[in-house]
Amino acid sequence: MASFERASPALKETLLRIYNAEKPIEVDHHLYEFGSVEYYIKSSASEPFTYLSISTPLLSQGVFLSCRLSPCTLKMIREISSDVLDIVEPPTDGYQLTLRLDFSKLPHNKESLKVITEVSSVQAVILSSQLKKLLQNVNSWDISQGMYKPIKLIYHPREPFYVIRQPQKIVAVFPMRFKDHSDVIIATSFFQELMDVGSSGKWSKIPPCNWSPIPPPELRGEPFEDLSTNGGFVSFDISSHHVEGKRLDKTVWSLLNFYGYVKHHVKCTRGFIQRRMRRRMDSLVQVLEKSMIEDNGEIKNVKGKSGWKKVKKWMRLTSKSKMMKRRYHDFTKKIKGIRFRRRWLTIACLSSSMGYTKLRKH
Amino acid sequence: MANPLKLYLTCVRNTLEAAMCLQNFPCQEVERHNKPEVELKTSPELLLNPVLICRNEAEKCLIETSINSLRISLKVKQADELENILAKKFLRFLSMRAEAFQVLRRKPVQGYDISFLITNYHCEEMQKQKLIDFIVQFMEDIDKEISELKMSVSTRGRLVATEFLKQFL
Repeated sequence: MASFERASPALKETLLRIYNAEKPIEVDHHLYEFGSVEYYIKSSASEPFTYLSISTPLLSQGVFLSCRLSPCTLKMIREISSDVLDIVEPPTDGYQLTLRLDFSKLPHNKESLKVITEVSSVQAVILSSQLKKLLQNVNSWDISQGMYKPIKLIYHPREPFYVIRQPQKIVAVFPMRFKDHSDVIIATSFFQELMDVGSSGKWSKIPPCNWSPIPPPELRGEPFEDLSTNGGFVSFDISSHHVEGKRLDKTVWSLLNFYGYVKHHVKCTRGFIQRRMRRRMDSLVQVLEKSMIEDNGEIKNVKGKSGWKKVKKWMRLTSKSKMMKRRYHDFTKKIKGIRFRRRWLTIACLSSSMGYTKLRKH
Repeated sequence: MANPLKLYLTCVRNTLEAAMCLQNFPCQEVERHNKPEVELKTSPELLLNPVLICRNEAEKCLIETSINSLRISLKVKQADELENILAKKFLRFLSMRAEAFQVLRRKPVQGYDISFLITNYHCEEMQKQKLIDFIVQFMEDIDKEISELKMSVSTRGRLVATEFLKQFL
């Protein structure tokens, strides 16, 4: 699952700590993100370099047969800062990429923060480049097979999505699955809004979005377990002008983040509903508490909020004499109350035993 | 307040005013026990005829009266799936906090979404008229709250969808 921020916050913090240290420090850290991304950071006091190794799942095994990164991806990584980072060949065992970072070449100004942020977002660069390559090269790959076959991309084990190349467009299909039925309803409402907003004239430049409860015809022939969803299928029709120049990067990042975006929206909506329900409950309880009557006919205070008033009252009675008088008054009142209750109970008991007769059934 | 809803609520209010004449009455079956007869239903002579007030198929109110207790069960309008889950969530939320309301039943009567149980003790502790006002306002507020929640969820969805689509530009 993707993070909305490209840079990994934990990696950025660790790199900044190494960079800001007055003298080289010993660091040997393993960081894990989203269950499948792993970073290994190694820095020693004796060596001026910091080594950063990254292991990330590949989008599609069918397209990227080797575990090595493509030259295009490596070129994009080198472009972050050719002075500061260098790609180590071969990478550390178990990782796809190892970078050697030389922080001594970083200037001590705002530029340094920018470079470290970009280094921290190297995993996003790898993933984006995989999808970019797929969107650009999928045409030739499919034509060689003689058909437009859907390509299954496994960005997260439980959240695969499909990319299908068609003559005029590329279709990205997201099968949506949710654990809870209420999540399905909230998400469905969101998808309908997404379709409505996307179909309005103002948004003609964005890829058309469709939601359907049944699998689209393009996915015919795919395994049944991949097509069984409870949230339906969301598809984006990506035309050539959506992947031109700078827009390619935005389109790729939006597609990769779609699952995360929907899940985040559902979670926030649930929180919003909960907050609102709590507020409404408080107002309803206040209405009921207004109906409470005290012995002398006055309306009782709200039970839960009387604590502060009691404290204020107690603060007013700080002098000892006043407190003693009050205690004496309370004590005598209690005794009177007990006497009255006992008398009242006795009378009530007599009257009930005398007046009680069982009604007969007709 | 819309006219049909006003008529429905006025009818409920009038029925409650007539039904809420409760008195202390000990259990006839077990000595020294005092239980709400509307729940136990052990003696039919202590029960009054239940009154069912329907606004439509989906919205109705059942008022069951006995000598010492009164049970009000409500069925709330649920026009679509979103309203259905919002109503279920909200009413479950309230039922789980029934102790705050005193007169709210933890489990609704079968076929209804929420139930209240008012005993003669509640009538002694609270003002009868205000208690009726609370029930009527509750019915009014539930409808309003569910409609507002539905609108808020749709508005949030639209805003989030707009923000997502902006990323493509």
